[in-house]
Amino acid sequence: MSNIDNSLKEIGKLNDLQQRNQWLNNIHPLVKLLLTVIYILLVVSVDKYNLGQMLVLAIYPFMVFNIGDLRLKEAIYRMRLILPLVMMVGMFNPIFDSSIEAGIISMVTLMLKGIYTVMVAYALIATTSIEAICYALRQIYIPQILVVVILLIYRYIFIMGQEADRIMTAYKLRAPAQKGINYKAWGSLIGQWLIRSMDRAESVYESMQLRGFRGEYAYASKAKIRLADILYLIIWIGVFAVLRFTDIVDVIGGLFI
Amino acid sequence: MKTGIEKHLLHIENLSYEYERLELVLKNISIDVYQGETVGLIGNNGVGKSTLLKLLVGLLLDYEGTLEVVNHPMVKENVNHIREHIGYVFQDSDNQLFMTTVEEDVAFGPRNYGLSNEEVEKRVTKALELTYIEKLRDKHVYKLSGGEKKLASIATILSMEPDIILMDEPSVALDPKNRRNLINLLNDLEQTKIIASHDLDFVYDTCDRVLLLYEGEIVADGSAKDILQNKELLEDNGLELPLRFQG
Repeated sequence: MSNIDNSLKEIGKLNDLQQRNQWLNNIHPLVKLLLTVIYILLVVSVDKYNLGQMLVLAIYPFMVFNIGDLRLKEAIYRMRLILPLVMMVGMFNPIFDSSIEAGIISMVTLMLKGIYTVMVAYALIATTSIEAICYALRQIYIPQILVVVILLIYRYIFIMGQEADRIMTAYKLRAPAQKGINYKAWGSLIGQWLIRSMDRAESVYESMQLRGFRGEYAYASKAKIRLADILYLIIWIGVFAVLRFTDIVDVIGGLFI
Repeated sequence: MKTGIEKHLLHIENLSYEYERLELVLKNISIDVYQGETVGLIGNNGVGKSTLLKLLVGLLLDYEGTLEVVNHPMVKENVNHIREHIGYVFQDSDNQLFMTTVEEDVAFGPRNYGLSNEEVEKRVTKALELTYIEKLRDKHVYKLSGGEKKLASIATILSMEPDIILMDEPSVALDPKNRRNLINLLNDLEQTKIIASHDLDFVYDTCDRVLLLYEGEIVADGSAKDILQNKELLEDNGLELPLRFQG
């Protein structure tokens, strides 16, 4: 099985997660999107030396993973390409910050910010379909054109992946003893890949047009917001406020000292 | 061929089409297709079958002659309205199915036409029942087999409740059981259908009228029985008798 095929299957597994009948999956997409955005803003706003607050803020991603029945190990595997980049953020802080100690603290804080952000974004896409996320984006008045572009990119990435996989498989079957692809073939393979992907993308677009698509995407999820959704939103906003605006580490410490 | 008082849904007169204004693909095509008919469009590779289907749904508009679908001339201003009456099933189901699940794909058309959630739900259920794929409702499109994809593709069109269904090579890549299911399904559908296919046995099983295309022209228009058993006619136009008549 090729790497491309594996990657496509990974996207498929993510789709499987989105379709589960879990409590978190059934929360209204707008609520999940709002909480994700608020949480990311919250995390980003924390001072880079406030490591204590950052550690406490871990409560949201871990709770969401728990409620959503998401496996951390699987999530780390799927985020394996992004996490090293996130970890690299701030790696030079120990050198360039005011002191090495301060640099280490700011480095860890920045890394945690990156990890939490990626974790909550993963939790959102693992419990919400792309159509539902786009529906939620429209609810918060993100321009239609941007939302449609996001959707089409998602569709076309899959198409390009499938075409690349077919071409690679055909190549490997006719060059079984060869490791990788001969540099002389790269030009024609990439050309073929682009032309075939464009052809298929055009057919998909024609199919959308023939079924009434006029640039205004009709979203699948039009579920009404329930009381449980509102309560979930309010409770978490309350928790965020407490975590952000009180020195919770001091409060907890004061209970024991 | 039906004549007389039947209501025609398609009216084509002296239709010609040149590919990129260079190569004449269709020449002076004149046909009428009536309500309830199932018409087979046959011919060897490159005779213009797919081009004719694309013209009928307005994917190609720079034609010459007269082309009317449900009494509307096929011009840019009418394309959207005409497409509410005509559904097109692509040869490659992967191009037809682009949403995450079967249900979402089948609902795509009705939602785009602004129908209420209740009406969309009703149409999706009906389309899935008609194609016998209710159990695939929540299944991911990428996990479907070839036969299931074909049925799902047809369901995406049926949910729009079109008057005319166009199908490009519907039996391609189907195993015998799925092929038989598709034949039964098509024979049960009341809509007017135009089926372009190389599979002459399939055409014989599903169509009551056949149009034979050769080099961009219609060389025969008659009952499936008459045309598909005429060895000389088929061979003169680059085809062979259906397998069942080859003895």
